[in-house]
Amino acid sequence: MIGIENKFNKSTQVKRYRDIKFLVGALMVLGAFPLVASAQETAAYFKQNCYSCHTIGGGRLVGPDLKDVSNRKDRDWLVRFILNPQAMIDRGDPYAKQILEEARGVVMPPVAGLSRDRADQILDFIEVESALEKSQFEGMKFSDRPFTPADVALGHALFTGREKFKKGGPPCISCHTVRGLTLLGGGRLGVDLTKVSERIGGRKPLSAWLVSPATVTMQPVFRNNPLDAEEILPLVAYFEDAAKQSGDDDSVAPLAFFLMGLAGMVLVLGLFDVIWKNRFRGVRRPLVAGGEMRTSI
Amino acid sequence: MNVRSQVSMVFHLDKCIGCHTCSIACKNIWTDRKGTDYMWWNNVETKPGTGFPTRWEDQDKYKGGWEKKNGSINLKSTDKKRIVLNIFHNPHMPSMDDYYEPWTYDYQNLFTAKEGPDQPTALPVSKITGEQINVESGPNWDDDLGGSPIYAANDPNLDGLTQDQKDQLQAIERLVFFYFPRICNHCLNPACVASCPSGALYKRGEDGIVLIDQKKCRAWRSCVSACPYKKTYFNWFTGKSEKCILCFPRVETGQAPACFHTCVGRIRYLGVLLYDADRIEEVANLPDEELIEGHRSLILDPHDPEVIKAAKKNGIPDSVVASAQKSPIYKFVIEWRIALPPHIEYRTMPMLYYVPPMSPVMAVRQGETIEHVSDNLFHDIEDARIPMKFLANLFGGGHEAKVAYALRKQKAVRWYRRAVTVGDVTMEIAKEMLNQADCTVEEAEEIYRLTSLCTFEERFVIPPSHREEAIEMTQDPHERRQSTGFGFLSGPRRGL
Repeated sequence: MIGIENKFNKSTQVKRYRDIKFLVGALMVLGAFPLVASAQETAAYFKQNCYSCHTIGGGRLVGPDLKDVSNRKDRDWLVRFILNPQAMIDRGDPYAKQILEEARGVVMPPVAGLSRDRADQILDFIEVESALEKSQFEGMKFSDRPFTPADVALGHALFTGREKFKKGGPPCISCHTVRGLTLLGGGRLGVDLTKVSERIGGRKPLSAWLVSPATVTMQPVFRNNPLDAEEILPLVAYFEDAAKQSGDDDSVAPLAFFLMGLAGMVLVLGLFDVIWKNRFRGVRRPLVAGGEMRTSI
Repeated sequence: MNVRSQVSMVFHLDKCIGCHTCSIACKNIWTDRKGTDYMWWNNVETKPGTGFPTRWEDQDKYKGGWEKKNGSINLKSTDKKRIVLNIFHNPHMPSMDDYYEPWTYDYQNLFTAKEGPDQPTALPVSKITGEQINVESGPNWDDDLGGSPIYAANDPNLDGLTQDQKDQLQAIERLVFFYFPRICNHCLNPACVASCPSGALYKRGEDGIVLIDQKKCRAWRSCVSACPYKKTYFNWFTGKSEKCILCFPRVETGQAPACFHTCVGRIRYLGVLLYDADRIEEVANLPDEELIEGHRSLILDPHDPEVIKAAKKNGIPDSVVASAQKSPIYKFVIEWRIALPPHIEYRTMPMLYYVPPMSPVMAVRQGETIEHVSDNLFHDIEDARIPMKFLANLFGGGHEAKVAYALRKQKAVRWYRRAVTVGDVTMEIAKEMLNQADCTVEEAEEIYRLTSLCTFEERFVIPPSHREEAIEMTQDPHERRQSTGFGFLSGPRRGL
């Protein structure tokens, strides 16, 4: 239960207070009945929270393939890792470190609504799925046609919000920036997405991630209005292009920001000058200069 | 009835010769310090002219005084909301250029200049920056109509004059002007006091002198814009505002203020008036045309037993009441009604009154000669070279009746005295003129006497200040006497 409450971290939007109310209600209902998650429920949870980085038998995405994960480590270790991966890494657990290395430094983000029981259920579920010949979570199918400049352009439009997401999700720019986006860049709330395709490891993992973004911040935002398959492809195209376009050096940004500020200040001062055009500017000089007051007697 | 006493003044403009002696006396005593160079607590302006600071009467620019809005009067420059919004920037103050950049001359150059083909000169040097400057204006730049195509032509009091009247003022042959000496009016409803966010300005209870507490002043300069007469000045060196103090150290010791004392034309009169403080707000809210009469109605008759009783109840000493009974101001303002407040429409209820100046009648051109004498002795006040409307703008709040009354009475007194001493006018005509000017023979004699033959004691009836009693308000005098030595906080020291 604590895990569920955890989901509402400080960066949530006001809108989500409605969800809180709903969830508090839901918790009260759930508290009345002993929680026995059905396999269906666990599958849905897996799809929502794990599937964007992991497959079962479909090869690695950002995170490792989870097929037969129970054979790699004992149940207790797995549960501890799922609950708090960062703590395991910090403690210097050799296998956790190895996982980190394989994931090119991407730490598994804390998962929303996770508890010890839930982790157990997931592991049970993975065992069941691993035993099947073909798991339903073998991996999503993405088109692998080469990206066209039109894809990149559409991705850019989607990122900046010029083109709206069909299901109504907010444009990426409201929280994220990509280098060279505009002069002011995008939002700074989320991470810089310039190198995201390299960081996550290419087209397929990135596409999978975008199907249902699983971080505590993004999940509630996109759970009810996920991205469309036709939107994911241009976005990935755009991210790959952005990673290619950008250099390693980011030193131009502060200067641009400063110049923007300077230009803004000049603009605002100019505006003040126009608004208070008729302000008091002294009397004698305009009089002598033969300004508007001069009359002849 | 809440009786208070006020030291008030009359300036008889018909006698002013524009010598600026008053200004110099004041400057030498009070404003020759650093930061006060540009201030002229007393200045003498030529009218028509723009005065000091330039066009100070233009309240559209400077926003001085009170304005009537929604049934009550408000400061034009600041109300409570505006003072909060503009607390760090008071936008309606005269700039240094509207006063003038004070300067001196580099006299040393006359002695130290290198030998050259020409005589060395003492160039003007700014008293603010110390740099050489090109002098562009001064506090009397338009004195005696100097630069009048610009300055005299822009006198705000010319508003409402016909083109004919303006032409007449300017025509070289008929060129006319008069002088307008100004000090702080020590108003009954002072805008400067009302505007101060620090509460540094106050009006002394015992004599009505308006002062700025130099320890409380926080340089907001609200008083500078609020005073419609522009008679508070900001000392840029000390960061405090300063203004005319009516030489209170002199007044308290029975001497006339320096500008009064030195006045060559003897135009200045000073005396105490009793007024009803309870009615100030009511009077300040009157419509424009009733202001002068309302202002007069504030002043109480010092001979009225009721007033004397109420004065006593308010702690006004008998000696002050006695002084009020002899006050020349009471005569000019209430008995004779020939002294008028300047710009009463600012609603500050100034306590300095002006006797409006006479001027020659309009000249009439007859062929090659210019005929200056009008036959119409009774009505040529209206034909004076200074248009009545101009004087009315200055002293009548735009309304001519009170100004015409004052001028007609002055003129009647002149003709009456002419009948007495010269005899080229018959006494019947003179008396008829007096009659028409609402004046008796006795009154005419009195006006004549106080105008022409007045002694020092008649002009300045200074109320005793009773400073010896002042300390009783805050301290036990005996304790004070025993506990006060030379002092160690601000005791006597060598040097500055």
